[in-house]
Amino acid sequence: MQVELEVGPEVRATTGGHAARLPDSFHVRWLGSLGRRAEGLARHAGQIATIFWKSLIALLRGQVSMRATVREMYSMGVQSLPIVLVTGVLSGVVTSQQGGYQFTGSVPLYVVGSVVVSSIILELGPILTAIVFIGRVGARITAELGTMKVSEQIDALQSLGRDPIRTLGAPRIIAGTLVLPILVGIADLIGIVGGMLTAEATIGLGREAFLYGARMFFHTFDLYYSVGKGMVFGFIIPLIAVHMGLRTYGGAEGVGRATTASVVYMILAVLIFDATFPMIFLR
Amino acid sequence: MVEYIQVQKAFDAPVLSGVNLRVESGETMSVVGHSGTGKSVLLKTTIGLITPDYGDIRLHGLSVFHSDRRTIARIRRKAGYVFQNAALFDSMTVFENVSQGLPEDQLRKMRFREVLKRVAESLDLVNLEPRSVLSKLPAELSGGMRKRVGLARAIVGRPEILLYDEPVTGLDPVNAAIVHQLIARLGRELGVTSILVTHDIEGALPISDRVAMLDRGRIRFEGTPQEFRDSDDKLVRAFLERDTMTPSDTILEAV
Repeated sequence: MQVELEVGPEVRATTGGHAARLPDSFHVRWLGSLGRRAEGLARHAGQIATIFWKSLIALLRGQVSMRATVREMYSMGVQSLPIVLVTGVLSGVVTSQQGGYQFTGSVPLYVVGSVVVSSIILELGPILTAIVFIGRVGARITAELGTMKVSEQIDALQSLGRDPIRTLGAPRIIAGTLVLPILVGIADLIGIVGGMLTAEATIGLGREAFLYGARMFFHTFDLYYSVGKGMVFGFIIPLIAVHMGLRTYGGAEGVGRATTASVVYMILAVLIFDATFPMIFLR
Repeated sequence: MVEYIQVQKAFDAPVLSGVNLRVESGETMSVVGHSGTGKSVLLKTTIGLITPDYGDIRLHGLSVFHSDRRTIARIRRKAGYVFQNAALFDSMTVFENVSQGLPEDQLRKMRFREVLKRVAESLDLVNLEPRSVLSKLPAELSGGMRKRVGLARAIVGRPEILLYDEPVTGLDPVNAAIVHQLIARLGRELGVTSILVTHDIEGALPISDRVAMLDRGRIRFEGTPQEFRDSDDKLVRAFLERDTMTPSDTILEAV
């Protein structure tokens, strides 16, 4: 950033008609950079808020295509099921083995059931499913909309009198909000089953003992908490993905850049929301 | 009638620096100029896809930039836009793509048969056999066919104004001639106002009523095709000579 001075005609004449420029100072550069970042952040926030608001209005007015929403739900839900099942089982297997390793010889082994169920329901189920969802669904949405943007398909949609947020954004956001909690519920269940079978196979903890331990510290609220987290993640992931897709520019390279940035923002957002959840609901 | 009033737009640098242009109803106007002069930007501002920094555009008296969302929707309904690379929706079939050109509220009320009929009529108008292309995806079509499907999508809603952004770019001479003939035919048969942004002067001149030349964001020349051919303007001459394949550095010199 350079500072431009208002100068008289005689100075302009000696500088070839241009205003005189002073060399950048560190503070000016720093302030400029800070200002640009703040402006960029405010712009992102404003655009995300607009997408949310327009989607909400479209939903309330019944302007969101049911067909497109169901198609997205199938793509996000049914087609994500295999990877969610694998992640869920593995999280149960790992937690169970770690619990067995730590508790053998120190505390009653049925505590493993409690540790597995609590950690899966409260944390691992929602967060791992969300991360998988970001990779499988969020990245796809950004790449898909980004490609549409750089190939003028978004312009075409607008030229035909369609609102891209209502037509493309809202069905994806609604589908994500509905599907991810279900996937989280399935991941929780399959993770617990995986943990129980692993505990039986590795440390010889019977199913009754495992379930006894699981029931000891279980609250029904934990289930709502887990599914609620899924719902919030399922809302913010497509919201960010749609936003990043619609602001893509610069051809194929731009699509790659937008997708990478989108994945980073989605992971950050999920982790930040994940960190705030216990502060609000587990006090 | 389309009227551009002092239209200015800058991105990193000024692109349009006060464009004044008037296109009468039923007229075919070609806008020519070398790359980067803002032709496509001008076309996109026509229906509000790009908002100018200053000035206004009036379509049949309706202001594009000082109107509410409903008026803009009405304006867009009056116009059909043919994009440079057709901009067909990848995941949709030709039928779905073309049917998207129908106004949304109309489409919701129409029966499937009516939609099919309108889509088939439009494909017919652009010399495509409906039965053989309706169920195809854009990826299964040749470049020329994609352009014609884009054209069918633009006309299916029976617009009053057709905007063409480089409609023959990337096409071989035969397909380019077909598209130019189609533009002329649509103008005649549908009585629409057409604005054609193009580099292909030789193809565009015979089908145009008037020609405008953009240079550095301003209208440098405006007149009939004959006046364009007879012009003494250096840049116009350079364009015409280049188009007749005369090897020359005149464009750079003229610029």
